[in-house]
Amino acid sequence: MVAVPEAPPGVPESQVQGRNPWYLAWLRLRRNKVALGCGLLFVLIVAVCLAAPLWADYVAHTGPNDNHITDTVLIDGVETDIVAPDGTPLGPGLRGRYLLGADQNGRDVMVRLLYGGRTSIYIGLAAAAVTTVLAVVVALLAGYYRGWIDAVLSRVLDVIWAFPVLLLGIALGTALAIGGLKLGVIAIAGDSIWIPILIIGLVYVPYMARPLRGEILALREKEFVEAAVAQGMGPLRIMVGELLPNIVSTIIVFFTLNIANNMLLESALSFLGAGVRPPNASWGTMIADGYQMIYTAPHLTIVPGLMIVVTVLSLNVFGDGLRDALDPKARIRIEANDAGRH
Amino acid sequence: MHIFRRALIIACVASLAAFGVAACGSDDSSGGGGGSGGDITVNATSFPDYIDPQLSYTVEGWEVLWNVYTPLLTYRHARGKEGTEVVPALAEALPDISPDGKTYKLKLRPNMKYSDGTPIKASDFTYAIQRLFKTDSGGSVFYNVIAGATEYADGAADTITGITTDDATGDITIQLTEPNGTFDNLLGLMFAAPIPQSTPLDADATNNPPPASGPFMFTTVDAPRTLTMERNPQFQTVKDAGADEVADAGVDKITLIENKNQSAQVTDIMQNKVDFMMDPVPSDRLQEVKSRYSDRFRMEDSINTYYMFMNTERAPFNDVRVRQAINYAIDPEALNRIFGGRLHPTQQVLPPGMPGYQEYKLYPGPDMDKARALIAEANPADRDITVWTDDEPDRKRIGEYYHDLLTQLGFNATLKVIAGDVYWTTVGNQSTPDVDTGFADWFQDFPHPDDFFRPLLHGDSILPTNGNNLSRANIAENNAKMDELVTKQITDEGVEQQYADLDRAYMEQAVWAPYGNEQFTTFLSERMDFDKSYHHLLFKQDFTSFALK
Repeated sequence: MVAVPEAPPGVPESQVQGRNPWYLAWLRLRRNKVALGCGLLFVLIVAVCLAAPLWADYVAHTGPNDNHITDTVLIDGVETDIVAPDGTPLGPGLRGRYLLGADQNGRDVMVRLLYGGRTSIYIGLAAAAVTTVLAVVVALLAGYYRGWIDAVLSRVLDVIWAFPVLLLGIALGTALAIGGLKLGVIAIAGDSIWIPILIIGLVYVPYMARPLRGEILALREKEFVEAAVAQGMGPLRIMVGELLPNIVSTIIVFFTLNIANNMLLESALSFLGAGVRPPNASWGTMIADGYQMIYTAPHLTIVPGLMIVVTVLSLNVFGDGLRDALDPKARIRIEANDAGRH
Repeated sequence: MHIFRRALIIACVASLAAFGVAACGSDDSSGGGGGSGGDITVNATSFPDYIDPQLSYTVEGWEVLWNVYTPLLTYRHARGKEGTEVVPALAEALPDISPDGKTYKLKLRPNMKYSDGTPIKASDFTYAIQRLFKTDSGGSVFYNVIAGATEYADGAADTITGITTDDATGDITIQLTEPNGTFDNLLGLMFAAPIPQSTPLDADATNNPPPASGPFMFTTVDAPRTLTMERNPQFQTVKDAGADEVADAGVDKITLIENKNQSAQVTDIMQNKVDFMMDPVPSDRLQEVKSRYSDRFRMEDSINTYYMFMNTERAPFNDVRVRQAINYAIDPEALNRIFGGRLHPTQQVLPPGMPGYQEYKLYPGPDMDKARALIAEANPADRDITVWTDDEPDRKRIGEYYHDLLTQLGFNATLKVIAGDVYWTTVGNQSTPDVDTGFADWFQDFPHPDDFFRPLLHGDSILPTNGNNLSRANIAENNAKMDELVTKQITDEGVEQQYADLDRAYMEQAVWAPYGNEQFTTFLSERMDFDKSYHHLLFKQDFTSFALK
């Protein structure tokens, strides 16, 4: 599986050194400046969100869920209500405290934005991990064993696939909100962040498992698998040692793009009250809290909305770049098809 | 499918009949409407809890049901205090009460029909009261005073012996176990509205509501999203029988649609897409609506109390010091700002305007130091608290404020926000786990202080389902006082003062943490006749007063 570049004219093949495919992928990715820039932007957003406690402790001097409805803040030497007697919250301004203004409960929007980002990104990553693990296991089992195991697993995926993702997410989120999840020794409280993680992780499994299963089915017919069987390798060793390494690049691309999808679904679920539980902040809950005041305090909705757009866009562009870098043949194939269409 | 076909038939019959009624015209103009017809659209943030007169026990529910199900007595369709007067409805006159105050005699008006053409019978009243108990209605506690009611509720009797009726003559006799100063009021509630005996005795009828005896009838119900009310084609039989105090409909059809976005409701009314919103204008739109639409907007008085309930049966709220600490810590001004300035601060059970109200404050504050000291003294072993509230915007913010307050006081608080449509049935169900504390409010059912004490604080009101005594308060001395006072008339000497004392007795035990009395709003589309519409003190907007210009 090591790629061997063709020898340049005049250079004997024996003198050409093989290069690691990951290194080649990195070279290709490095040439895609837009994708690389978006990747860096995502890393920057993650870093800033991770620094939320620093901002809360040293700049804003308040936590993400601390209410300050009747408190005041000094602005231009004037004691100003954080929430006016008619309920209107303080707007954004160039200052440390309440840089992005306050919400209706007098909470610092900047602090909630940073903490909300941590929550949204954490859910995006963790749910992507859940999806990936489940999808890979299903794909390996279904693709390797085929037969009735494949039939059963594929039908289960079909059932999940048959539900609209958002509807399934809302149904599960609402059902688990009050009583939480109890499965044998596993018990998760209704307000736990793991509820949206598991819901989002589960609903996207078919979207990753089906293409992976297709790849495994194709690889299962290759000679190296037959050779492994002939050498007496067991099914587990073949699946983990032979098949899995051949789909790693696909998994990485899916994983990256899945994070963006997860963040969008988390926002939608939280907005609809079936995701992150109040008073905890996520970008979705912040939009849900703020949209009622879109006329008088639009910053409450616009700021988290912008953050979702920027983060998801950066992940999608980076994911596309990563796919092109890891699987250049796919790009060629797509380009060829496109060319044929014109 | 069955429901759809039935609804379709009813809708067709109703349309034809309504056309006939409209063609005949109506000369009624006492209170309410009786106007020129037309269709209007109404928005609600939370759908009514039940479309069932024996089960519904929310403001939204009663606002809708008041003009569909008519009891033997009712409340005058009028603005202000006049609207709190009990008047005859399906009964010919106010009850004839025996000198000992235990026997009530009424006579049903003759020849009245429900909207499906079924005759209204005296025994339908008995059936309605029986349904209250068989469905575990939150309102059943009021009617325990009827002789034989508790035996019937316990399954020891097949009928309520204290009610005798004669369908031929329309005579209804009700025997009470003891005099009850509120019983006229109770006969005017939807709980006691007669319904046909074909209605399931022990099941919620929301998806197939019983036929109407009021000016409107339900033609479709798609809970919790939408319902339609149309003119009752048989209502003329009620009017012909002499029920002049029951107002006629001013429009032909009302479509109620749930819309969780109150701000969008405001915009829709501004743009005349929606004609009325049942909930108040949200705080952020209030100033704009007040200034730009003053010709179709007004603030409305309402008799209510907003409070946090605290489950006195569970730690840590089984310690009075913890409950007192909460009362010290809550800042009514903070909550007033969440309501956009529509909240009058309070710290007592009875609201202004209710007999027995005397303003006082036992826990001056907000005083976090005092609150912390009390909690330190109590030193509760269990500091895990689940805070409940619903998803209506103001209430969600109240829950978030309260959650933060409890966290500041050193508790490990968890906030549960659930849909407004199912909030009361969830927290009022004893099998729901971890109902420790949370949002609650109460709007007067009738203008008597017993309406605030009995359903919310009497030990008998701790019910397995649909309970309203969310604090599970059961103070024997106060229960006895309540039972004693209810046998007297509110006008008797010293009774109001004793109710004021009862209020203080409950707050000394800090069974609630009350914080405000809310003002409501009326905001109508340009199509509507603003001057005709009015806000009833008991049932909020009177839907019969809606009329198009």
